[in-house]
Amino acid sequence: MTDHDISHRSSSGQSEDVSAAAAHLPILELRGLEKQYLGTHALKPADLAFKAGEIHAIVGENGAGKSTLIKLLTGVIPRTAGEILFRGEPVALTTPLEAIQHGINAVHQEVVLCPHLTVAANIFLGEEQRRFGLLQHRHMIREAQKILDDLGFALPAHALLSDLTIGQQQLIATARAATRGARFLIFDEPTAYLTREEAAQLFALIRRLQKSGVTIVYISHRMEEVFELADRVSILRDGRLVGTRNIGETNENELIGLMINRSIEQIYHKVPFTFGKTILETKNLTGNGFEDISLSVREGEIVGLYGLIGAGRSEFVTTIFGRHPKSSGKILWDGKEVRIERERDAIKLGIALAPESRRDQGLCLSLPVSLNLNLPIYKQLSRNVLISHREEARHADNQISDLRIKTSSRSASAASLSGGNQQKIVIGKWLNHGAKLFIFDEPTVGVDVGTKAEIYRLFSTLLENGAGIILISSYLPEVYELADTLHVFRRGHLVASHPHKSVTHEDILTQALGSASTDASTRN
Amino acid sequence: MSLETKDTGTTPKRRFNVLFGLTLFALLLVLWLVLSLATDSFWTGNNISNLLRQGSMIAILAIGQTFVIITGGIDLSVGAIVGFTSVIVAWLLAHGFPVWAAILITLGIGVCIGLFHGFGIVRLGLPPFIITLATLTSLRGIGLLITNGNTISIDNDPFTEFSRNDFAGVPNLFLMVVLVGIPAYIFLSHSRWGRYLFSVGSNAEASRLSGVNVKGTIYLAYTLSAVCASFVGLLLASRIGVGNAMQAEGWELQAIASSVIGGTSLFGAVGSIHGPLLGAFILATINNGANLLNVNSFWQRVITGVLIIVIVYFDQLRRRRR
Repeated sequence: MTDHDISHRSSSGQSEDVSAAAAHLPILELRGLEKQYLGTHALKPADLAFKAGEIHAIVGENGAGKSTLIKLLTGVIPRTAGEILFRGEPVALTTPLEAIQHGINAVHQEVVLCPHLTVAANIFLGEEQRRFGLLQHRHMIREAQKILDDLGFALPAHALLSDLTIGQQQLIATARAATRGARFLIFDEPTAYLTREEAAQLFALIRRLQKSGVTIVYISHRMEEVFELADRVSILRDGRLVGTRNIGETNENELIGLMINRSIEQIYHKVPFTFGKTILETKNLTGNGFEDISLSVREGEIVGLYGLIGAGRSEFVTTIFGRHPKSSGKILWDGKEVRIERERDAIKLGIALAPESRRDQGLCLSLPVSLNLNLPIYKQLSRNVLISHREEARHADNQISDLRIKTSSRSASAASLSGGNQQKIVIGKWLNHGAKLFIFDEPTVGVDVGTKAEIYRLFSTLLENGAGIILISSYLPEVYELADTLHVFRRGHLVASHPHKSVTHEDILTQALGSASTDASTRN
Repeated sequence: MSLETKDTGTTPKRRFNVLFGLTLFALLLVLWLVLSLATDSFWTGNNISNLLRQGSMIAILAIGQTFVIITGGIDLSVGAIVGFTSVIVAWLLAHGFPVWAAILITLGIGVCIGLFHGFGIVRLGLPPFIITLATLTSLRGIGLLITNGNTISIDNDPFTEFSRNDFAGVPNLFLMVVLVGIPAYIFLSHSRWGRYLFSVGSNAEASRLSGVNVKGTIYLAYTLSAVCASFVGLLLASRIGVGNAMQAEGWELQAIASSVIGGTSLFGAVGSIHGPLLGAFILATINNGANLLNVNSFWQRVITGVLIIVIVYFDQLRRRRR
């Protein structure tokens, strides 16, 4: 891809023919569509019409509501209010099956197929060809091969799906959707794991589908792809649809401007502290998913790591925490090189990690709040062998009241709490432990504004006590406002570092997204 | 923001657990009442002692099994360990080892088997079901190899008399349940290792990231289960006076059933000590009662199966409602 491609769409000729043919006939129309989870809006009432035969891109930051929108359109989750019209008729879209029957299909970033079956079996999964009740294996493989050849994919139909690369599997998933009579196809960041060549094949397929009259919704972080493919683009921000533009009438800067919430809310509570000595330093640290990362954290400092999902930030911090082995480089603690081979080593040094996924990594959901809060400190709570139940209860109750965790009691199960209160447990369990370095990985995902503010105030308390913080966030305003030093990650590399508020949102986002010109060197 | 953290121990959850325990206990009492009315022979000292002896060994196995199930695993080998260790202790006694040494060596072998299970799960990455299934068949085989398919009789009177004797009217075997049950209760409810068993069973990754020694906890659970089983092997050898590798066939299933009837969740992270104990004695009572009522012993198996479904189904209902 060159700069030239971005400003002048290469495919303009064909796509205009099609959109002219089906001019202004909305195939799918949203009227006041909205979704609330426990009172918070994941998608505020949105009106949007998809024209038949167009490629419609949707852009927005993480958490802007893109995935909510897809789930609503594919019938995975029920809407809270609003109407969806398919070809002018109101539709319920309450189950995925209903969506598929209307011809609405989605191709996800992660491939959802059966890796142990052949390519042909996957393409025909659920619609196997039979004769006298028996599978027509050879016939299906021939048919599948014909489909693949037609599409211009040089892939063997008899191979096992798991023998293909992720990118090739993505192409199979698309081919599968295309052969199912899909009239409306949603792509959710399909190129995240693709090589350049595979992406080019995918784009060719998308254009081909468009030509045959399929309406495409294309969700992506990558500006260059949006400008290469789309006819129109809609922008989501904080669950709100902020605008729709014809691709010829907009540019990258305008889109980025619309994606970012400029109104800086009062919730970012930042008290500047003077920095003490360096707590942790990494030198050329390399591991699975990140490369050559050198940075340091001082007492009283918030170090922010910004980047897209999959940029290597979580892998970097979990390696510091001993969850994954490093392949080279050094970790210095208090100026001395340390070996951190497992989590317990890191915890012993004084590192605390509030991981990215509350449900998978942060909490024992089926167990009481008090056990979750005390899990890292049971050694301190037990004398000889026995646990002091009184101490256990006292520590838990202190955290519950200090952090204002809303729970019916300390022995209620963690699963019974709301997302924000669960997050307080994930953070709170480290407060009694006396850690020196706190790593927060996406601490405010799925948390309401009030709880966000409380979590930020807690940061200040920690800093005041001489701790340092590494804050990972995919929500730019958060790291932008809070971080004393902001490091930008892209595809496993640290691409830029900035002191507090020294550059604009646009600059940072551009660095994280990697516009086409700066990107060529890092991409496969 | 309101805080409702009253300093009481009777939280809804705990009250439920107590309630469930009481229900099981009530069920046991009802069974006893019905059987004493329906038969003349049930409520006699002899029969009750017999019942306690029958239930004791499964109860101890069930305690060990419960530790494993709480971590989300399963130990299919316990019945085989009982048979195998009965052979070991009989062989040791036959070869002139003193009783104390024979007991210690047998328990030591139990520890080794448990560590091997831990090794298979943690190091080799085998599913618990597979590794314990493998030792189930292998241990029976090794036992048969040692005895050449025969039984080894034990002519050591102090050893064999132990299981027949009473202490203050209570059968020694039942006292052994108390001997195992009290430390097990303290371990599970009052030590940090007990907490770790639950946390690993609930979410191993979260436990790991909180600094819990997950591998060590798994080793511990399987070792405790195997030691309980080898202890039962000693008791069984004492009771029947022989070592035989094919003894205790199917006891692993009875132990699992007792544990599950006692409220242990096969998904992990839910369980107690009193539950499996009650479960074991409920099963023992049903078997005993069926014998006294002259119910075809084949029917006993069917009844046990139905009972498992009914009790666990009601337990599931109770959990879902919360």
